[in-house]
Amino acid sequence: MSAPVTPETHTGLDSPVGVWWKPAHRAEKLWVGIAFAWCMVLFAMMPLWHLKGGQNPSGIRRRTDPTAFYQRTQEFIAQYKVGTDRGMPIVEPPPGSDIYLAGMTFQWTPILRLRQGAEYTLHISSLDVNHGFSLFPVNVNFQVVPGYDYGLRVTPTSAGDFRIICNEFCGIGHHTMVGRVIVVDTAGRELARSEEAR
Amino acid sequence: MSAPLPAGAGTPADFRLCPTTGRRIHLPGEALVKANAVVSIVALLIGAVAAILLVLTRWQAVHLLPAEWYYRVLTAHGMSMLIFFIIFFEMAVLHFASTALLNARAAAPRLSWAAFALMAGGALLVEAMIWGGKADVLFTSYVPLRAHPLYYLGIILFAVGALLVVGVFFANLVVAKRERRYTGSLPLVVYGAVTAAIIAVITLLHGAAIYVPTFLWLMNVDPQVYRLIWWALGHSSQQINVAAMVALWYMLGALTVGAVVLNEKISRLAFVLYILFISMASAHHLLVDPGMGSAWKVVNTSYFMYMAVLASMIHGFTVPAGMELGQRLRGVGSGLFGWLRRAPWGDPGFSSLVFSIVVFGFVGGITGVTIGTEQINIIVHNTLRSPGHFHATVVSGTAMAFMGTTYYLIPLVFRRKVAFWGFSRVQPYLFAGGMLVFTIFMTFAGSFGVPRRHWDISFSQAPFDVQFNPAVDLVLAIMALGGLTAAVAALGFVAVAVTSVFFGEPLGAITEGVELAGVPRGITHPPRHRPDVDRLNEELHAGRGAMGPAPGTLVLVFIFLAAFILYFFVNWKVLSAVWKIG
Amino acid sequence: MTHAPPTRDDPEPRDIPLGQRLFDNVFLLLVAGIVVMLVLYTGWGLWEVVTLDSSPLP
Repeated sequence: MSAPVTPETHTGLDSPVGVWWKPAHRAEKLWVGIAFAWCMVLFAMMPLWHLKGGQNPSGIRRRTDPTAFYQRTQEFIAQYKVGTDRGMPIVEPPPGSDIYLAGMTFQWTPILRLRQGAEYTLHISSLDVNHGFSLFPVNVNFQVVPGYDYGLRVTPTSAGDFRIICNEFCGIGHHTMVGRVIVVDTAGRELARSEEAR
Repeated sequence: MSAPLPAGAGTPADFRLCPTTGRRIHLPGEALVKANAVVSIVALLIGAVAAILLVLTRWQAVHLLPAEWYYRVLTAHGMSMLIFFIIFFEMAVLHFASTALLNARAAAPRLSWAAFALMAGGALLVEAMIWGGKADVLFTSYVPLRAHPLYYLGIILFAVGALLVVGVFFANLVVAKRERRYTGSLPLVVYGAVTAAIIAVITLLHGAAIYVPTFLWLMNVDPQVYRLIWWALGHSSQQINVAAMVALWYMLGALTVGAVVLNEKISRLAFVLYILFISMASAHHLLVDPGMGSAWKVVNTSYFMYMAVLASMIHGFTVPAGMELGQRLRGVGSGLFGWLRRAPWGDPGFSSLVFSIVVFGFVGGITGVTIGTEQINIIVHNTLRSPGHFHATVVSGTAMAFMGTTYYLIPLVFRRKVAFWGFSRVQPYLFAGGMLVFTIFMTFAGSFGVPRRHWDISFSQAPFDVQFNPAVDLVLAIMALGGLTAAVAALGFVAVAVTSVFFGEPLGAITEGVELAGVPRGITHPPRHRPDVDRLNEELHAGRGAMGPAPGTLVLVFIFLAAFILYFFVNWKVLSAVWKIG
Repeated sequence: MTHAPPTRDDPEPRDIPLGQRLFDNVFLLLVAGIVVMLVLYTGWGLWEVVTLDSSPLP
C-alpha cells in the first residue's frame, strides 16, 4: 500500500524530515543582507560617537566608600562655599576642577554654581543606597551607586536654574529628593527662570 | 506505525487522540499544561488590578494611592506580571511543546508536580511578603535596600521550581527522541521553546547566584555586583519571553492561516543567534553605571554587534512572510495585500498574533534598540521612556501572544468553548489599542524627563520646585486612559479564561466548515494545504525576482526599516543637544 | 492538520550537512549559550568591577 508522500512545504508545527539545510530564496537573502548591514550601522554608531560625539558615559571611574566620599565632599563644600539656600550650601568651584555631589536619603548636596561653557569633573556617589541623578530639564541621567565614584567630565552648554531629580527608588522619601544646580551664563549672570534657554 | 515502545512508556490509556489535530496527547502531560496556565492567569489578575491602581496614581489629577502603597503595589505589579504570570505561562508552553507537539509523553510527571508546588508556594510567599508591607523594595530589590528574608526565599523556591521544569523539558525531548515519537528534526515551534528553555537556564543560574547570597546576607553584597548579576536575571527573563513569543507566533500563524516555514535554516539560525547573544543585553540597564567601562557596555548592549537584533529582524520577516505564503498557497486573497485583508480578523487568535508582531516590532523593538545604545541611554535611563519601551515588548508583544494562544488552548487542551465570544473577538483590539496609547504616551512623558517609579511629580514635599512642561499633565492623563482601557481588556480576558475553563460549555463534536460561536476559526475552518502544495510553492517562488513569494511582507518590513532608521537618528540628534558629558 | 508518518527513510547521519547537525544539537547550544554569557557578560563584567581603580578621590 503506498501512502501519500508528506509535502516538503510545512508549518512550524511539523517536523521537517530529511535535509532542511538549504539556501534561501533571493528575497529572503536580500532582507537578511540588508538587516545585517543595518546592524553594522547600529553597532558602528557607538564607537563613532566616542570619537566624534559630545555625550558619552565614560567618565573617570573609581571605587570609593561612603565615608571617604562624604569627607571629600565636606572639604569641597568648605573650600568653595559662597552661600546657602534653604539650608543647603551653595558652592562655586573654579572651572576645570574636580567637583563633588553626594546623594543620600533624601537630598543632594551641595548646590553647585557653575559657569556655562566651562568643563568640570563632576564626581557623583551615594552615601547609602542607589539613587538616580536626573538633571532636569536637560535630561541627562546617571546611576549613583554607593561605593563607586563616577567622575563625569561635564560642560554645561546652557545657563539656568536646574534641578536634580532622583529617579532611582531609594525609600519612602524618594519623591521628595530634589537638588539644584545653578549655571551662570558666560558673562557671569544668573538667568531668571523665564529667561532660561533649555 | 512506529515500532513498539519500551517499557514504562505509558499505556495507551494515558493518551487521548485530539480530534482536531490528530495528535496523541499524553494526559498527565496535559494536566501540567492546564495547571500552569491557570495559575498564570491568576497572577495576571493580580497584576492587572495593580496596574489600574498604579495608573490612577501616576495620573496626578487622580493620585489614588498614598506614597507607601504606590511603591508597594508597584513591587507587586512587577513581580506578578514579569515573573509569575509570564513564567507560569512559559512552563505551560514548555510542557506543551515537549509533549503534545511531539506526540510524546511527559517523562517525569511527579517531579513536574513537585516543581509546580515549589513555584506556586514560592509565588504565594512572595506575594504575601509584598502585600504585607515586608518588601517595599520594588521588583529589582537593589541592595542595600532590604526586604524580609522570606521575600528572597520565596523567589529562590520559585526559581528552583522553574529550573526543575526546564530540566524536565530537556528530559522530555531526550525521551521523545529515544522513543521515536517524531522523525526528523524538532518542529520549529518546539525549537523556539528550546531557545526559551536555554535562555531560562542562563537566567535562573544568575538569579540563584544573586538571590542566595542576598537572602543569606552573610556579607554585604556589593551594590554594583548586585546590579550586574541581578539584571542577568531581570532582563534575560524577558528574553525567555521573546523566544517563547516568537515560537508562539509560528504556532498561531500555522493554526490561523496555515503559515508555512519559508526556510528552516534561516529561522533556526535566528533562534541560535538568540541563544548565543540575546542575554548579553542585560547590559542595557547598566549603561550609565560607574562600575563597568565603555568597551564592556558597547559589546554587551549590542548583543554582540547586534546579532540578536538581526535574529529579530529575521523573524520579523519570516513570520509574516510565512503567513502571507500560507494564505497565497491556499488561494486566499490576491494582489499585494489581499492575503492580509482576507485574513480571519474575527479570530481572536489571529488578531492577537498580528498586534503582538506589529506593536512588539514597531514600538517595542525600535525603541528598545535605540534607547539601549550606550550614549542615547543618557537621555533615557530611569525616565518613563524605559517602562514605555518594555510595556510595548513584554505586554503588547509577549502577553498578547500568550492571550492569542489561550484562545486556542481553551478548545484544544481544556476542550471547552471560549466564553463571552462576542467580547473575546473584540478583546485583542481593545487591549492592543489601549496599550498602544499607553506606551506611546508614557514614552512621550519620559522624553520630558518624567521619572519612572516616582509617586509625585508635583514634588509638593520637595525643597525645590520642579516645573515640568504643562503638557506633561495631559500626556500622563492620556497615558492613564490608555492603560485603563488595556487593564480592563486584560481583566476581561481573565474573565473569559476562567469562565471558559471552569464553567464553559464542553466542546463536543465540530462540523468542519461550519462556524461555531466560542470556537476560533482555525479549528472550525482549519487552514489545510492542498495535496499539490509543493508545486504551488515552486510556482510562487520561481519567476518572482527579488520580490519573492511574499511581496506584501517585503513592503511591510521595508516600512519598518524606514521607521527604525528615522527614530534611531532622531534620537542621536536629540542627544547631541544636551550638555557635553564624557 | 494531521501528523502523517513520513514514508521517506531517515537519511544517513553523514548525509545531513554539518550545519543542520550542529543546529539540532540541543546540548551543544545550551553549553554555548551559557559559556558566551558567562564569559562576555558575567566574567568580563565582574572583572571590570573588581579591577576598578581605588586610589583616593582627587
